[in-house]
Amino acid sequence: MSDVTTSHTLVDSRGSACPGPITDLAMAYRRSKVGDVLELWATDSGVKPDVQAWAAKTGNRIVSIDDEPDKIVVVLEIVRR
Amino acid sequence: MARKVLIIGGGTGATMLAKTLNKRTFEVTVLTASLEHMFQPALLYVAFENSRFNVVRDERSLLSRHVRLVHDRVTHIDLRKQEVTTANAAHYRYDDLVIGTGVRTDPGQIPGLTEINAQYGDYHSTLAWAHKLWANLEKFQGGTIVLGQASPICKCPPSPVEGILLIDELLTKRGIRDKTKLIFFSPYPRPYPAKPMNEIVEPIMRERGVEIMTFFDLDRIDPETKTLYSIEGDEVQYDLPIIIPPFIGADISYEPGDVLDQSRLLKTDKQTLRVMGFDNVYAIGDGTNLPTSKSGVGAHLEAKVVASMLAGKPAAFGGRTHCPVDLAYGKGTFVIGSYDAPVVKLQPSRLNHLMKMMFGRIYWLSLRGLLEPMFDVYFKLTEPKPPKATQRPTAGGETLRP
Repeated sequence: MSDVTTSHTLVDSRGSACPGPITDLAMAYRRSKVGDVLELWATDSGVKPDVQAWAAKTGNRIVSIDDEPDKIVVVLEIVRR
Repeated sequence: MARKVLIIGGGTGATMLAKTLNKRTFEVTVLTASLEHMFQPALLYVAFENSRFNVVRDERSLLSRHVRLVHDRVTHIDLRKQEVTTANAAHYRYDDLVIGTGVRTDPGQIPGLTEINAQYGDYHSTLAWAHKLWANLEKFQGGTIVLGQASPICKCPPSPVEGILLIDELLTKRGIRDKTKLIFFSPYPRPYPAKPMNEIVEPIMRERGVEIMTFFDLDRIDPETKTLYSIEGDEVQYDLPIIIPPFIGADISYEPGDVLDQSRLLKTDKQTLRVMGFDNVYAIGDGTNLPTSKSGVGAHLEAKVVASMLAGKPAAFGGRTHCPVDLAYGKGTFVIGSYDAPVVKLQPSRLNHLMKMMFGRIYWLSLRGLLEPMFDVYFKLTEPKPPKATQRPTAGGETLRP
């Protein structure tokens, strides 16, 4: 039995134009551990290619990217740290 | 009876706000841990150009006589009891509290960085550290210079790019550029995080022979082998490392403690600038968790919003950024954006560079509030417009940050 608990962290980057949502994602990744889920909210459409490039580089998994009326919601699972 | 406004901090936002509040309506106290008011953007020029610019002034010379200034370090703030405690065991009460305590560098977060920092200096911590970095650059005769930010959160986001471009100019003028490899690392997918501005700066960096390592989020440093390692699994060796340390909020405990995030930044409403859950407590400047640049312009504009709110006039902060970027060789641009508008792709020019230099020259004057009419016009003329086709409702409410 493992005593490691995983978490679901909401990262609200709505309204961030500069430096941008990727800053918040990188900060949340720094504090995450394997098994954690990061949910990123953004209004900057550039978040989609950035997250895809980030996941490819870091080897983590994109669970979903959804366009909602007022935001883009990205859900990521940390599988590599 | 005048309302008691307590302002904690002695930086750009705190000083401007104290000057703005009407002395007949408010009894203003500024409580600051340091009487040395530093013009922080000048550290860039101290470190890379050995500038003798007037970087520090006494806070006492910057405030009006009706403002009570107390030199003491705040250790605890009880937001429920409306009481502030200091290192000298003094207690202060308030009707309205404004927290402008900024951020400080925290090299201890990265193994090896404290040692590197002490040896080579940096251009975000102190004036002494900026002088130390200049001394190291002055004796540098060739090799590999590696420059980057040690954490995704960086005060003055253009400053890493500015640093590497000013080194290129410096070493070219000294005739040793061809003996030097310049490597720039970034935790982002590109050198500048906001894409439109990156489309300006990345081609310039490549044209000047700067090697770029993206997705390099610094994990640790081995000073023995002179190697930097990233969380993503990459590594790079240096002869001269110029590392911008991680930043953290002030060392103050709060009741309730959950008004701080994991970087000790205050959870602050994006528009009203109220600290989460408290209608009479505001946060301005670098010490907030607002999703916008940590910059003097931000602190300036936030101080104006809080001044309005305190005076009973509804106001909202729009997330405006207006950060000058020195591209070296006498050219510059500005990072202009807001919560609603993406960053503008503003082409480099000599005029932009001159404006950056001019803002530096008039900084001390602007703290007195005398230039506000000029700034109001300037910011209005340069207001970024949200693109109509992609305009989204402004995000509101409480801000949750990692």
